[in-house]
Parts: sequence; C-alpha cells; structure tokens
Amino acid sequence: MTDGPNKIIKNITKGFAKHGYICSEQIATAVYLASELEKPILIEGPPGVGKTELANTAALYFKKEMIRLQCYEGLDESKALYEWRYGKQLLYTQILKEQMQEVLEGAKGLKESLDRLMKFEDIFFSEDFLETRPLLEALTSEKGSVLLIDEVDKSDEEFEALLLEILSEFQISIPELGVRKADVKPLVVLTSNNSREIGDALKRRCLHLYIPFPDAKLERQIVQARVPDISESMQIQLVNFVQGIRELDLKKLPAISETIDWAKTVILLNSEELDAKLAEDTLNVLLKHQQDIEVVKKEIPALVSSATETSDGKSLN
Amino acid sequence: MEKVLTDFVKALRNSNVRVSPAETIDAVSVIDSVGYEDKELLKRTLSIVLSKTPDEKVKFNACFDDFFSDEIKQQVSVDMDQLSDIKDVDSDLAKKLLEGSQGELMLSIADAAEEAEIREIRYFTQRSVFTRRILEKMGVGKLEDELMQLGSSREDELPSDLEQELRNQLTNLRERVSDYVQQQFLLHGDVSGEQLREQIFKSMNMAQIDRSYLNEVHSLVRKMAKKLANLHSRRKKNFKKGKLDIRKTIRDNWVNQGILFNLSWAYKKVDRPKIYVICDVSGSVGAYARFMLMFLFSLTEVVSKLRAFVFSSNLGEVTNDFKDAQLDEAIEKALQKHGGGSTDYGQALTDFVSLCLDEIDKKTTVVILGDARNNFGPEKAHLMKSINERAKQVFWLNPEGKYRWDTGDSVMTTYSAYCTKVFQCGNIDQLERVISTLLKTAI
Repeated sequence: MTDGPNKIIKNITKGFAKHGYICSEQIATAVYLASELEKPILIEGPPGVGKTELANTAALYFKKEMIRLQCYEGLDESKALYEWRYGKQLLYTQILKEQMQEVLEGAKGLKESLDRLMKFEDIFFSEDFLETRPLLEALTSEKGSVLLIDEVDKSDEEFEALLLEILSEFQISIPELGVRKADVKPLVVLTSNNSREIGDALKRRCLHLYIPFPDAKLERQIVQARVPDISESMQIQLVNFVQGIRELDLKKLPAISETIDWAKTVILLNSEELDAKLAEDTLNVLLKHQQDIEVVKKEIPALVSSATETSDGKSLN
Repeated sequence: MEKVLTDFVKALRNSNVRVSPAETIDAVSVIDSVGYEDKELLKRTLSIVLSKTPDEKVKFNACFDDFFSDEIKQQVSVDMDQLSDIKDVDSDLAKKLLEGSQGELMLSIADAAEEAEIREIRYFTQRSVFTRRILEKMGVGKLEDELMQLGSSREDELPSDLEQELRNQLTNLRERVSDYVQQQFLLHGDVSGEQLREQIFKSMNMAQIDRSYLNEVHSLVRKMAKKLANLHSRRKKNFKKGKLDIRKTIRDNWVNQGILFNLSWAYKKVDRPKIYVICDVSGSVGAYARFMLMFLFSLTEVVSKLRAFVFSSNLGEVTNDFKDAQLDEAIEKALQKHGGGSTDYGQALTDFVSLCLDEIDKKTTVVILGDARNNFGPEKAHLMKSINERAKQVFWLNPEGKYRWDTGDSVMTTYSAYCTKVFQCGNIDQLERVISTLLKTAI
C-alpha cells in the first residue's frame, strides 16, 4: 500500500469532481471501501440525489465498462443472467442430422450406433449458444466492470435470492456448464428507493450507503459543476430557496436533479435575479404534485426574501 | 485492538443496531486498511459497514460518539514547577492527580470501577450511583476533606494555586469518571431493561395501560406492526391461472423444436384483500379500540384496502381521519366523536349493513371488536348472518376474558354463531397473534 486511505479518498473526491460528480466524504469513503474490500455497495436515499449517477461516475473514474441492469417486477434469470440461443440451437440440430448420416454409416446394430453417437462431440449446450445477460456479462468482462443493479426494491424476492450467490462469491452456476467465476471482480452498485424493505441476507452482503439531500454548501458545488453558466448570486439564491422548500411538509421534496433542472430553466429564461414571479412561474420544474405547488405558492414571498437575504449576507463576506 | 471493536459492536447491539458476526469480520478487515488514527474516517467507514438502514445510521452515530468520546481533554493547568508546596498534600488521590500521568489515572479509574462492580450496571438511572461509587473507591472523600482544610486555613480571600489546581483536577476527574461510566453503561446496560419493559407492556391488559405510556406503547406497536408487515409483504405467488399466453408458449417451446409441448398461461393477479373493521368505542371497550386501530393503521404497507368504522350506538366511518391525520389525533377524534354513550349493537349492525353490505364480497374480511354487551337491546343477529354470508370471513375480537362471555347483558354466543372465528383479545400479545392470523387468512 503506497497511499494512506485518506489520500485515496481525497483522490476519489477529486476524480469524481472532474467528471462532474461532487461527492461528500461519506460517499467517497464508500467508493474507496467498495473497491478495497471488493464488496457491493447498496445505496439508498430519496429519488434524485444521484444514486445512479454515482455508478456512472465510478465507471468513468475507474475506466471500466458500465453494465446496467434495471430491475422490475417479474425480472427473471433469463433476462438477468443468461439464456440459450434457441434459434441457433435448432439450426445446429439440423446440421447435426446431416452429419449423423456420415457418422453412423456402416454401424451394425443399435449398440454400435449408440457408441458412435456417444463419441461424437456435442456442443448443444456450450458457450457458443449462450446468450449472456448483464449479470453474466459483468462477471466475464475481462477488464472488470462496474455493474449497476438499479432499483433492486422493484424486483421480486426470488430475484434477490438469485443475487446472493453473485454478490458474495462473484460466481454464477449454470446447470449445463458448471460454475462461472469472475476473473476480475466487478464493482457492484445496487440502488434502492425503499419501496419495499430489502431482505436482511442481501443487506448483510453489502456495504450500505445512505445519501440524504445535500446541505447548502454541497448543493451549491453540485449546481456549479453541473450548470457552470449560472451567475454566483443566482446560484446561491436558487439553492437557498430549494433548501427552504425542503423544510416544508410536502408529498415529494425536490431533489438535486430538480435543482439542476431549475437552474437550467432559469438560464434559459435569462433571469438575473430570483423574484417571486420567476419562482411562481417556474415552480412546476421543482415540484411534481399539484398539491405541493399550492402549498409552496403561499410560502413563496417568505422563501424568496430569506433566500435573497442570506445570499446578500454571503456575498458581503 | 480487536477487543475495542468487539466492545463497540456490543455497544451497538445494545442500542438496537443489528450487527451480524459476518459484518463484524468485515469491520475488522476494514480497520486493517483504514486504521484507528483518523477518528472521522473511522466513523464514516464503520457506518458504511455496520449500520444498514437510515434509522440505524442515526443510532450508530450517537453510539460512536459516546463510545469513542474519551479523548484526552485539554486542561487548564498551572505550571507544575510553580507548585513548590506539592509535597504538602496528604491524600493519595491528590498526589496522583498532581503528579501522575493520564494513563495512570485512567488505569486507576478502571481499577476502581472494577471494584465498584461496574459490570452490574443495567439501567440508565444507575449511572450517577456508579459514578459516585467509583469516585469514593478512588478516595475522593479524603481529597474533599483536604480541600476543605485548605479552604478554611487560608488567610486571604484568594485561594492558593495549589487549591485552585486541585479543584480543577477534581472537576476533571468527575467528568472523566462519568464518561467512563457512560461507556460501560453502553456496553453492559439497558437492553435487558428495555426488553423487560416491552414484555410487561405486551402482556398487560390494554385497558390498564396508563395514558402517560401511550407514546412508548405506540412505538412498540409500530415495531410489532413492522415485523408483521415484513413477514406478510413477502408476497406469495398468489396467481390464478388465466388465458393461454400464446407468445410466451411459442418462445418457451423453441427448446422443443417449436412443438408446443409446455403451455404457458397468462396469470391473473388476485386483488389485495379488503378488510373492514368495526370497533365498539363505548366506555368499556374504547381503550382496546385504540390499540386495535393503532395496530391496523400501522400496517398500511400490507393492507391497502382498510376501512374502519366506530360506534357506540350509531355507526360512523373514520377511515379518512386516519389517512390524513396523525394516528394519535385521529384516535382521539374518533373516540371523542363516537365514544361514550350506551352500546347498541343492533343499531350499529343496521347502520353498517345499510352503509356497505353491497361492497362486501368474497375477498372481504370483516373484523368486529367489542364485548357484545348490548344493554338488553335488540340483537338483530340476522344482520350478522347476512354479513357472514357475503364476506370471506368474519372475526370477532372480544377483550373480555372468556369466563365473562354471556354473563349479564353479553350476547356473545348469539353473535359468535355467525363468526368464522372468535378471539379473546385483551393484551398486545394477543392482539398481535390475532392480526397475524388475520393477515395470513385474509390474503
């Protein structure tokens, strides 16, 4: 080991920032541990805080191939692991039929033909006819890969059980071919929106990272990285406003992705200053429920004034 | 160093963070690479490895801060060289405080704690007792006497440097001992206490639980409900065979050279069950209804179609109150609006039948909570019969002990004839069992 863990973590933070992902120390530590221990990370948190993006950035940072598996109800092994190429297999048996004529020519009796048949090489179930799906692909990838299993909570319990072998041993058993083990262990990232409780067995095998909504400082950095065109005062005001909204009791709180969308909207509209009218007109970018919009509308004047006030204070410093 | 970690894991378990041995092993290998030097880094790291829900993360942070709090505190101390009168102190403790190193002091705290049998600490409230006991074992009494003497013997108003220093050191020592006790408490204490409390609440008659404990009981109920929900949300394959799925059949049968050998069916999902709860909230049973509703509405994850009705004489629906408002408020409101008054089961059944008999079908479970004490009014058992005929099942929960059924104005037998099952349901344990049965059979 050449570098201390703190240095590596700093490097990860810097490297991620280069790819436009500003991460907290907690996130960087998790990435470091995942690559150090070769264990999967399970990421939880409200939607839109950058769970999926983390995997994308990790792939860029480690310069590895990104393989993504989107989970949904009814996802099964033929879509996640592997499937046989039935069409090709059918054609193969057709060819085999013709070949068989030659092989069996001159054989006397049933026993002899059977012996010859047994000696004949059989590739019906072999790699050639194996159609790899994301999970198998990630294991067999020669340079290693980043495997993103997105929204595990959407999949069925059975699928979760299927993941256990892959996540702890990094291997898949294919009944016809035997066990396939990964040469280079992939970096596995699982995300969950907590629509159902993930089983304990799965949790035990993973590192667990919870990404909350960012604090104002971090969010400002993120907006700066993602929407570099925005003026500094505007950016501070936007972030303060969003942070204010998160204090309210809403159905769905605006996440980072919404803040970024909003910042882009504001730039499109060429606005220089955040005021009540602008906020009201563009509120639907931030909030996705009519009820929420109505709640926030009442609060807009207060939110705007406090957002601009604090930003003035900041800029004076 | 592994001892520190296993102690910490023990402390975590005591504060209700579930840590498996496998995770402990992970933690050991993590520490190998990050080390103990950087406390912040250690905290972040262990948090990722050991705590696995947002809730646990909060507990983890608190526990970590408590456990690793014994940093050596910077002291406001007078330069030792100036204390020429150092030899004038008599008590051992005073000498130790003035001359000894931090390490020695820690060691003597640990010794004294051992003597004071710190391992026996169980409850939160015992901390101050143990702190005092350890200080006494270390000879604080003598030191205090000496300080008194110093104070009384001085001629001018200002305390001497020596006295000042001793006082500082004593305050410091007190803090350190109390930190030490806190740490030991995390290791040895509480769990049994909390479990005992929960046990008592569970087996206590629900009507006798004091209102001041409602918050605690509520969180207990929520915990139990969560457990049940986890158990039953493992959605069983509740499919029913439907039409032939031609596309899937052809695809699946490629294997058989396209001969349609294995047929696939398009499955039809069965709807989630409907549960209708009717609660008697008249004086005698109101307390039970509170817990029943608390439990059921904590289960919204599993039972999505739940409708609740309460009555004492006239029946009213309260489902929406529960959906919108806080649980406690909703219960209060329901009890206030419909509670009190004399019970009339006949009227309540009439109301219920006219309100929603049409909606009851073969997926519906009707649960009635009440003591069946009808004040000698008309029973209208035929209404129960018609409910029973339409519904999948009818449960009756009676909070009274079985020996009291059918005594006085109770007409339990009349009604129970039309129930699929009748339960006695007086404490939270029984309630949990009943609801577990309900979830098992209703789905």
